[in-house]
Amino acid sequence: MHPMPFLAAAILSVSTLAVAQADDFVIASYGGSFGEALKTCHVPAFEKATGATVSVKLGNSSQTAAALRATKGNPDFDVAFLDDAFAVQTGNEGLNERLDRAKLSHAGDLIPGAWGKNDSYVVTMVTATVLIYDPKVVKTPPTSWLDLFDPHYAGKNVIADISNAAGWQFLLALNKIKGGTLDNIDPGVAAIRPLAQGSTVLYTQADQVVTLFERGEVAIAAWYPNNAAAAVSRGLSLAVAYPKEGAVGILATMVIPKGAKKRELAYRFIEQVLSPEGQKCFSERAMIGPANIKVQLSDKVAQIVPYGETLQDAWFVDPEIVARQMPLWTRRWQREVAR
Amino acid sequence: MMKTRTGLMLIAPLALVLAGFFLVPVLMLLPTSFGEYLPGSGMTPGVWTLENYTRIVTDDYYLEVIWRTLGLGLFVTLACLVLGYPLAYLIARGPQSWRVPLILLVVFPMMLNLVVRSFGWIALLTNRGLVNNLLIDLGLISTPLKLMFNLTGLMIGLTHIYLPFMVLMLVAAIQNVPRDVESAAATLGSSRIHVFTSVTLPLSAPGILAGSILVFVLTISALVTPRMLGGPTYKVMATVIYDEYMQLLDWPSGSALSFTLTFMAIAVIWLSSRLTKRWAGMA
Repeated sequence: MHPMPFLAAAILSVSTLAVAQADDFVIASYGGSFGEALKTCHVPAFEKATGATVSVKLGNSSQTAAALRATKGNPDFDVAFLDDAFAVQTGNEGLNERLDRAKLSHAGDLIPGAWGKNDSYVVTMVTATVLIYDPKVVKTPPTSWLDLFDPHYAGKNVIADISNAAGWQFLLALNKIKGGTLDNIDPGVAAIRPLAQGSTVLYTQADQVVTLFERGEVAIAAWYPNNAAAAVSRGLSLAVAYPKEGAVGILATMVIPKGAKKRELAYRFIEQVLSPEGQKCFSERAMIGPANIKVQLSDKVAQIVPYGETLQDAWFVDPEIVARQMPLWTRRWQREVAR
Repeated sequence: MMKTRTGLMLIAPLALVLAGFFLVPVLMLLPTSFGEYLPGSGMTPGVWTLENYTRIVTDDYYLEVIWRTLGLGLFVTLACLVLGYPLAYLIARGPQSWRVPLILLVVFPMMLNLVVRSFGWIALLTNRGLVNNLLIDLGLISTPLKLMFNLTGLMIGLTHIYLPFMVLMLVAAIQNVPRDVESAAATLGSSRIHVFTSVTLPLSAPGILAGSILVFVLTISALVTPRMLGGPTYKVMATVIYDEYMQLLDWPSGSALSFTLTFMAIAVIWLSSRLTKRWAGMA
């Protein structure tokens, strides 16, 4: 029997709320390899420098955003990681503290667009939705998003459900290729429907794809380089391909919730996360790209994460538009793609 | 007869807990369900709208999900009843020495966590799962049967999970049927089948009703199993509500759907109890 870690991880991320002591410094973070790298690269250095005790509250962006809204003004964490569209949403709801750039010494070293409107968030890491393939089956490396439609791989391709970032990102990439815009996703919806209907599963958890590749059920996927790299390190045969139309970028931001009790420590933690040493360590462990442009990556890491040319070619969809349109896109997906 | 005051005192602890931790939070959701949600900026303070409710009845996707949820509830209840009644009958009327082992067998799956049991079904039902691999190896099919992300998968998973509730309810009800009445019917010339259909079955109606309501309500409100076995393509009310709340952060829409589900459950319970009472001659 093959282990199925993805659902266990999903359920755990819902139910495992680390029991925090009253005076702990609490970080809301994604779990999985992201959380592991956080605990390796950032937490010990931060604890050593500040003497604080850190506890990590695991959750995905939507869970953290929901918690922010539910505890408005009296949050149960001091700093949080959120995908950019969710940081925009909570920022517009007035739940984020306005960040003081003067308190962050690396504020000027970040990629363009790293600062949210009114400095309500700062981008700390960059990853992307790209093509991942099994080189044992896919002999010529894919070069375009359209290679997912190659009849050779019919029934052996997998894309994400729209509830997962890779789902809406691939939809938008396809939409753009087919001539659509962010205000008109008709071409994308029409093009993606046959693919969605033909694929065995629309994955909702990134790690579901590991099992699919492992059992040889799929040969090519619209997926994440960091998850693929983690699977490769466990012995899977996978390769990363950045499509010529550009990968779709994913920005992990940090916000300080309004009413956070340990604001100064929160700044010091963001400082740690943005520091070149911290960023490099994190990139190498989690295979997620740095937001600090001064970080030099090894060739091995640079080929996997968005970096240099692949970073420049990546499409970063305006998070304001994503936050505004997501319910519409989701409703159309439920009705016209997944139905 | 018990005094009203004593009765109130007896239910007071539970009533207080329910009021504080269930009723009040649920009622707090009511205003939210009439709120307006603007994606990107949040709930608009002071604006009230019926749109969250009108959308549910006018949108054919929501209607499809509602009918699917009700249908699933009905089918799972029927399946549990059909599978559970003979078993309950055997436990109640079979050899004494079988009773404890049988009840243990019925209860045993409940000792495993819901997630683990749903996992088990994924391992069995997925495209390269045990069932499909076996059928392919035996040469009975050439391409995997679609056993997950559809009605089949949810029916199997939910029936398995809720069968014990039905059986335990039915055992108690069948045990309560006086054997004298059955003997009397037999003495008066009724065949065994006739005794069962005209005496035992109607007299166990309260148990059938209680078990059915329990299974039905648990099924239409189940979240974990539908999320795992239904996936993103086969959604029911509970998973849609979860998505509205947790993925889209549209709390007003999620609240309106929650109230719709609650009212559907209450309506079905009310209707079925009336029908059953009439059938069992209790009305």
